[in-house]
Amino acid sequence: MPRGLRAHARCGRSRGMAGFAELNVPALPDRKVLRGVLEAAARLGYSTVAVNHVIDFKEKKQEIPKPISSSELLPSLPMIPGKLKPIKIVTRLTLVVSDPSHCNVLRATSSNIRLYDIIAVFPKTEKLFHVACTNLDVDLICISVTEKLPFYFRRPPVNMAIDRGIYFEVLYTPAIKDSTMRRYTISNALSLVQICKGKNVILSSAAERPLELRGPYDVANLGLLFGLSESDAKAAVSTNCRAILLHGETRKTACGVVYTMKKPQPVEEEEETLPACKRAKTQV
Amino acid sequence: MVRFKHRYLLCEVVAEDPRYRHCIHERAVTAAAKGALARAHGDYGLACCSIAFTVKYLNAYTGVVLLRCRKDFYRLLWSALPLVTHLESRGQRHPCFFHTLHVGGTIRSCQKFLIQYNRRQLVMLLNSCTNKEERESIQKSLLGCSLQEVEEEQFQSAEEEDDCAETD
Repeated sequence: MPRGLRAHARCGRSRGMAGFAELNVPALPDRKVLRGVLEAAARLGYSTVAVNHVIDFKEKKQEIPKPISSSELLPSLPMIPGKLKPIKIVTRLTLVVSDPSHCNVLRATSSNIRLYDIIAVFPKTEKLFHVACTNLDVDLICISVTEKLPFYFRRPPVNMAIDRGIYFEVLYTPAIKDSTMRRYTISNALSLVQICKGKNVILSSAAERPLELRGPYDVANLGLLFGLSESDAKAAVSTNCRAILLHGETRKTACGVVYTMKKPQPVEEEEETLPACKRAKTQV
Repeated sequence: MVRFKHRYLLCEVVAEDPRYRHCIHERAVTAAAKGALARAHGDYGLACCSIAFTVKYLNAYTGVVLLRCRKDFYRLLWSALPLVTHLESRGQRHPCFFHTLHVGGTIRSCQKFLIQYNRRQLVMLLNSCTNKEERESIQKSLLGCSLQEVEEEQFQSAEEEDDCAETD
């Protein structure tokens, strides 16, 4: 896919206010708990929640399951307070890769991978981190927060990832739970933020219980501890997440995403939401 | 005369079991916030924020608390608040967390927001009713009582103390 098209995913940043999103709610086997977490997220004001399926290749051969559909999970979606709109539930797949051969799954075309909205990788070694940043067709790269960083981030791959519209994820729940984890989280996040200068970072929870979630504004402020500036921290829970969703959609379509929506006044029939200069890129 | 500027953080204490809310005490909230501050920012952060730190308002029924701190250091306090995981009262730990609803410069602005927020909550309650009696009783309370008066009464004591000019 040409890079110009991928750049589209980042246009979301310039357009209006995006709702808050929580892109990591683990798909727990206990549906009742998962439902509780989703409802709590809606109550806190998140408008998009991603249910995360984790595949760890270390544990022998693992099949990639089909994602849970939101209708199966919740018969009626909880409403966002103040907006009277139900929350949006998307699916996400996280691959924990520790060996280069694990990446082959991503290249296979006819698998359940296509059914997921967002695909993330959790590279365990520096080499794989480099591959994930430069080559792999993913939306999100997870950063380890529960242990000392196994490698240092280097600027070239990180810059490359930013150019390709790939985002980095920092989890905050371990920081809330435990003091040692908090130190690792803060130091790892700081070293990431120093390299990527606060751009292309998202904060998400991986909350397994409703009480581990925090409100979006609180999370943004927690971002200040991670060295993000005020605007970067806010983007980390709103616009960046939206950009990831759009980036994920580009994988499903032939070339890029163009959203059209009608203006409130019925003046024009079709309204391209992207300005002309951006549209030109689609023809590259 | 120059007055010290403050920031007021309007937070909701979210607990798994709503019954825990009756256990919210001023002292427990202060201890939890200060503990989190000490954990996140150490002695320096705790010292900065404790200059004018008080719990200005506390509603054990809705679980709403209003925290005050100096304007220069409210970021320190706010970034520490997500680290609160439980409130401690009478030797018991109640797991809960603080959800910040609003940050204001005066108690008055927080009050305005809270009234609006509670009104929205009532509508939400109305939506989630299951039987008719519940629905009617909430509808009654929505139409019957003037929310503003009740809220103002509760706030009055706190406000008189702080900025006399603003109570009318």
